[in-house]
Amino acid sequence: MLKMHNINKVFRTEVVETHALRDFSLHVAEGEFVTVTGPSGCGKTTFLNIAGLLETASSGQYLLDGEDVSALNDFQRAKMRNQKIGFIFQSFNLMPDLNLFDNVDVPLRYRGVKAAERKDRIERALDAVGLLSRKKHLPAQLSGGQQQRVAIARALVGEPRFLLADEPTGNLDSNTAEGVMELLHSINSQGTTIIMVTHDAVLASRSARNIQILDGRIIDDRRAHQKAA
Amino acid sequence: MEFGPILRALLRNKLGVMLIALQIAFTMTVTVNAVYIIDQRSERMARPSGLDEANIFHLSSVGYGNNFNESVASTEDLALIKAIPGVVDVTVMNAIPVSGSGSSTGVGIEPDRPETSVQTAMYTSDENVLNALGLNLVSGRAFSTNDVRRGGRDMERSHSVAILTTALAERIYPGEGMQAVGRTIHSPGGRTMEIIGLVERLQTPWPESSFIEQSMLIPEVVDDGSTLYIVRTVPGERDRIMTEVEELLAAQGHERILRNNRAFEETRENSYRLDSVMATILYVVIGTLMFITAMGIVGLAVFSINRRRKQIGTRRALGATRPDILRYFLLENLLISGSGVVLGAVLTLAFNMFLVQTFDMPRIDWFYAPVGMLLLIILGQLASLAPAAKASGIAPALATRSV
Repeated sequence: MLKMHNINKVFRTEVVETHALRDFSLHVAEGEFVTVTGPSGCGKTTFLNIAGLLETASSGQYLLDGEDVSALNDFQRAKMRNQKIGFIFQSFNLMPDLNLFDNVDVPLRYRGVKAAERKDRIERALDAVGLLSRKKHLPAQLSGGQQQRVAIARALVGEPRFLLADEPTGNLDSNTAEGVMELLHSINSQGTTIIMVTHDAVLASRSARNIQILDGRIIDDRRAHQKAA
Repeated sequence: MEFGPILRALLRNKLGVMLIALQIAFTMTVTVNAVYIIDQRSERMARPSGLDEANIFHLSSVGYGNNFNESVASTEDLALIKAIPGVVDVTVMNAIPVSGSGSSTGVGIEPDRPETSVQTAMYTSDENVLNALGLNLVSGRAFSTNDVRRGGRDMERSHSVAILTTALAERIYPGEGMQAVGRTIHSPGGRTMEIIGLVERLQTPWPESSFIEQSMLIPEVVDDGSTLYIVRTVPGERDRIMTEVEELLAAQGHERILRNNRAFEETRENSYRLDSVMATILYVVIGTLMFITAMGIVGLAVFSINRRRKQIGTRRALGATRPDILRYFLLENLLISGSGVVLGAVLTLAFNMFLVQTFDMPRIDWFYAPVGMLLLIILGQLASLAPAAKASGIAPALATRSV
């Protein structure tokens, strides 16, 4: 599903050069639920951005769903994000002026899906996260947990094969976070590959695979059966 | 297209949108009516006088000494001017067309019936007038030497011949104007005039008058101490001959002053100066309003984009291409400008009705409002293009940053 080989990412300014990722290699198989942990500034978000085609690597090879994405232009990358990747952000990133229905509609519009099909998909996605009855509400009228559920509905509505979650529970209380995690595990159980960046060691320990990053390198890559062993 | 979500989002941020829409509506109202006024004035200024304008100049000779004999001086002057190489013809007249000053009278088909008379400018001149002005005779004949009367203010005038403009003839004889030659018309004081010719066009001295195309030429040269010469030259020789004529006449003495040696084009320009100044002022007003409106649109777009940088990054992360973002903001502006121009169209018509009722202006032509709407929408799109292009350059990675 995802293959990174010797990925480097360097941020350059006039005075300083920062290596966010160094010879970063990773293989994530289809259907896996991988958590990524590490201290602040270790390169988690950079990895997520490159994996989600939000940024390009400075060097190295990245195959997503078998396709080498290194040579794709901006337009092709946008289309690939829209068709294959779902995003869940720490602060939800909902459009405050749009109601829930219109928020979930955003990725479908960029895909050019017809209105009737969009309506059907949006209602199914909102129903899946238990918020269909509030589809005309604005994000500000919902709790944090509910907003994250809307963001999950938005990520799922395009039926992506690959879901990237950036600290999805970081702004939620523990009970709400638990609900969101259950939802993500349920989505994963239906075949969607998930990579989740988190600070929360407890959540990380519950995933089938956990990767630890330090100074732009993978320092640990454990699978659940290894931990159990 | 995202009309629905954009419209619903705009309706949740009414104030800024309403202010810009109102500004667009106000700009359109003022601009469309101002352009209409400019067009009206330009149309007025462009009306042909009937004269060979580019090749005509005029000069006045005003006697001041006891020995000044206007008739003698005038006869000598005309002969001298006519002999200058490059002069096509010269005549004497009582007034200059479109100059702002002249004589008028009423003429009708029945004597002593002022209620049926038609108002007309009255030019007096000699047998050379048609050629000297470059008028186009469309029916009948020009004045002959025998037609021309010369004398003082008290000379006998009960009967004469006259040449009319076709517009005046048509007004006197509706539907039969072109058959007016040979008929007799009457003016106040029991004067009768036989129509001997029709000219295509000769405007009155008053650009503002409602009867600007209604003029009449009478073959009279009145000695009243002042002679107005109208000289027509071959193309390209006017300015040289103007100087030569003045020097030549000055050298003759005659105890008179020569003044107002001017090209007809200058006289015409002076007469329409107010129109041209008003057009310039209105152009400045339109330009200023357009600029302010464009800046308002840019300001709103930039503010709106800066406020939504993370949203734009999120849209890009969710699959929006750069053209998608560009289109989004242009569409948003289209909705704002669209509401502004619809309101502007209503205000434009209302303001025009006010002008019609208050200042007796003509009603605006139907196409001004749609053309104005289109122009303001184009202005809005152009003004928001640069901010929208900048927005489309926002990186998708902004979605994961904590800004």
